[in-house]
Amino acid sequence: MNPFPRICMTSLLFGTLAYGVGVAGDQLDRTQRPKGKPAPVIHLPEIQKSSLKNGLQVWLVENHKLPLVAFSLVIPSGTDRDPAGQPGIASMTADMLDEGTATRSSLQIADDLDAIGANLGTFANTDGSFINLGTLSRYLDKALEIYADVVVHPVFPEKDFSRLKKQRLASLLQQHDQPTAIANNSFNFILYGGSHPYGNNPMGTEQSVQSMTIDDLKKFYHTYYRPGNATLVVVGDADLGHLTGTLEKLFGSWESGPVPTAVLPNPPAAGQRTIYLIDKPNAAQSEIRIGYPALARSTPDYFPVILMNRMLGGQFTSRINLNLRERHGYTYGANSSFRFFKGPGPFVASAGVITDKTDSSLVEFMHELTLMREKGMTAEELAYAKKGAVGSFALAFETPAQIAGALQSIVLYGLPENYFNSYLQNIESVTLGDVQRVASAYIDPSRMAIVVVGDLAKIRSKIAALGLGEVVLCDTDGKKLP
Amino acid sequence: MPLFRILTIGSIVMSAVMTAQINIPFEQYKLPNGLTVILQEDHSAPVAAVTVMYHVGSKNEKVKRTGFAHLFEHIMFKGSEHVADGEHFRLLQEIGANINGFTTEDGTTYFEVVPSNYVELGLYLESDRMGFLLNAVTQHKLDNQRDVVKNERRQRVDNVPYGTADEKIAKAIYPPTHPYSWPVIGYMEDLSAASLEDVKEFFRTYYAPNNACLVICGDISPAEMRPLVEKYFGPISRGKDFERPAAVPVTLDAPKRMVFQDSVQLARLYVTWPSAPGYTREDAVLEVLSHILSRGKSSRLYKTLVYERQIAQSVFASAQGSEIAGLFSIEATAKPGKGLAPVQTVIDSVMADLLKNGVSAEDIAKAVTAVEVQTVNSAATVLGKANSLAAYYSYTGDPANINRKMDLYKGITPEEALSVARKYLSRPSVTLSVVPSGKPELAAQKGE
Repeated sequence: MNPFPRICMTSLLFGTLAYGVGVAGDQLDRTQRPKGKPAPVIHLPEIQKSSLKNGLQVWLVENHKLPLVAFSLVIPSGTDRDPAGQPGIASMTADMLDEGTATRSSLQIADDLDAIGANLGTFANTDGSFINLGTLSRYLDKALEIYADVVVHPVFPEKDFSRLKKQRLASLLQQHDQPTAIANNSFNFILYGGSHPYGNNPMGTEQSVQSMTIDDLKKFYHTYYRPGNATLVVVGDADLGHLTGTLEKLFGSWESGPVPTAVLPNPPAAGQRTIYLIDKPNAAQSEIRIGYPALARSTPDYFPVILMNRMLGGQFTSRINLNLRERHGYTYGANSSFRFFKGPGPFVASAGVITDKTDSSLVEFMHELTLMREKGMTAEELAYAKKGAVGSFALAFETPAQIAGALQSIVLYGLPENYFNSYLQNIESVTLGDVQRVASAYIDPSRMAIVVVGDLAKIRSKIAALGLGEVVLCDTDGKKLP
Repeated sequence: MPLFRILTIGSIVMSAVMTAQINIPFEQYKLPNGLTVILQEDHSAPVAAVTVMYHVGSKNEKVKRTGFAHLFEHIMFKGSEHVADGEHFRLLQEIGANINGFTTEDGTTYFEVVPSNYVELGLYLESDRMGFLLNAVTQHKLDNQRDVVKNERRQRVDNVPYGTADEKIAKAIYPPTHPYSWPVIGYMEDLSAASLEDVKEFFRTYYAPNNACLVICGDISPAEMRPLVEKYFGPISRGKDFERPAAVPVTLDAPKRMVFQDSVQLARLYVTWPSAPGYTREDAVLEVLSHILSRGKSSRLYKTLVYERQIAQSVFASAQGSEIAGLFSIEATAKPGKGLAPVQTVIDSVMADLLKNGVSAEDIAKAVTAVEVQTVNSAATVLGKANSLAAYYSYTGDPANINRKMDLYKGITPEEALSVARKYLSRPSVTLSVVPSGKPELAAQKGE
């Protein structure tokens, strides 16, 4: 595209002459929308790999834009590996890593990191356990020494464990103040039940936290925190030669060992549509969650599903948001998503809506879900969703954090290494038929659970009158009330 | 080339200052209509951020018309003369852009991060709503977005535990005529009262090119951008000058104590002092002090309250410097079933020690390193850079100050830290206890 089109000169000159006159004399034809220039080249992160003698895989993407290095040790064993009946073990194990090593107390770890401005984060989510470090590259060696200490030599001190337990119990209590947390936790419990890891609060329950012991944590650590079960993802201002030498020294003593392959139970089958109501007296609005157990990350329908959901509730201009927010003004935002885990994660449509319009909002949600199931999308909508997905992809590798996230997903979900190379092709090859098929296969509002957290005195009878299904009252954990 | 001579009116600033922390080179110039343009080239990814910041926020609102700047921000997304309702989002999401806007006490920022081949679309859309909004604003759009904003208030304030604490504190600190005494999101009754004529008047006063800056940052060529900026923004006419709210020093005559019962499980104490405006040396020193008080396990308040005595679940100190005033606050949440009086006692004694004995050079160095890391991280994205350049332009008059940010933190001595602490933190403060409903006895002290 010519950067100096003719029209530009006209408006330019006029613009200058018209200083102070106003827009009335604008010569620019604003009904003509600018067209995009040819698509820019997207540089995919180039992964350099090495492995240590003990089996730890190291993946590096060099990025010298800023004097920073980000590390993420990815262990593909998360809260999905919490022992049966003991939710919270994986996340507490991660939390305890930086509470004491063979040579450093909890405070010393914090002080040594603070002295160089390094940030350490340890946590577990559904699919994995993560130890993340961000440091200025000039302090790389010092930061790595502390990092390795935390990963390889944690000692799980009793007094720090007791402090963290009390903190966690208080956090669980605080979640009961938050309608969004109540809705999310209850929704998961209602869908998956307490015997499936996806049904539990990743932090655990009051009872499981109370009964947790140091030995439980050590057992989890020794079972899953093994170099052969880990990949160290590094993005930033570093080079592989120096890094591998340093890592061999620091992580060399980390002992390898066999890691059991656990089999995730199947989620309970979705039954007839049921409405679960949770009372939050005087709530300023109602939190709605609608869905059921759906798809794993490995689904062959991944690409048609993400394109379909983009139009359903995956972006601002999706049908659900335009309906509930822009057309009706019931909410600040409404959306839907498939949460792809290693196993079948939930489909969830959600919004916080004005109390008076809770029932009307449910009607609109059901309308949009049914419409997508029965009619699918138009060719124009599919083209729109594809173009958007392609554009988003161009934005996906800007920062070290985004690149690290992309690498983590390859590790966690066993995606092919050329996954991103074929991403755009995979988007483009989705057909309207694919989208119709996945819409009718995976969007079935007649079998979804509807969870509403709100002021039941004001909303209950109106919701029941909709006749959407059986109405069940639950407590704030999602358990049925007698 | 004559084209360029016209376009480059105003000064071209190339930042040459190389600091160890951050170096964002850019070009800056002004169009004849007063629009400041900042161009920043960064080809590390095929993306570009287009940011337009208007130097207007909730502090430009009038009493009884609070929440207006933010409500207006919503209207700006509902189309303009050549862009139908819904098209702004539709056109940008079609190309995968990241789109949003935000309003503070002092400014309103709109942005889109686009694949770099679509920068011109961003310029087209931003210029259309800067130059051609009014004829497209209707009562229906206003009513609809008023509902959305009321929902936003419910979602972010009224349905959130402790959600109204900040507005209660601001109301107690600032006199009722001070523009920071009301919340950015506004009060429900004021939102209901906003009329179409109010909206139009607000636009005419504040949404003029001479009250705005345009930043384009990313995979762009400044030589290509200049004519495009002129093409789309050049014809928009300059607005009238207006008076900005002046900085008036805020102090309290005496300490204020308040108790509020809320639907919460844990009691929480807020102690807040009026402090220095942002982008100043004093604000930098106060930020350093806030780190020393609550950043990391060894920080003074965290170590005593959370780590050792374990009477608090969490504690955060912060220095929030806005354009014409600032707040220094401490927020501590008690353990389940526990009262705030012992928490208050610890805070009082830690602050008394700080005001008597000050802090060490080592404490300061640690805090400054943390600020440095945050600053470097903020330059990781084109959006972060674009929004920072816009904010530094609007609030300090010179976007190059982003590259000198760390100078504000250089050479802070224990003596200086002590003197700033004594100046602000020995004055009367506002104390708010938020306690579980029916348990006023958990408050630090009785309210007045």
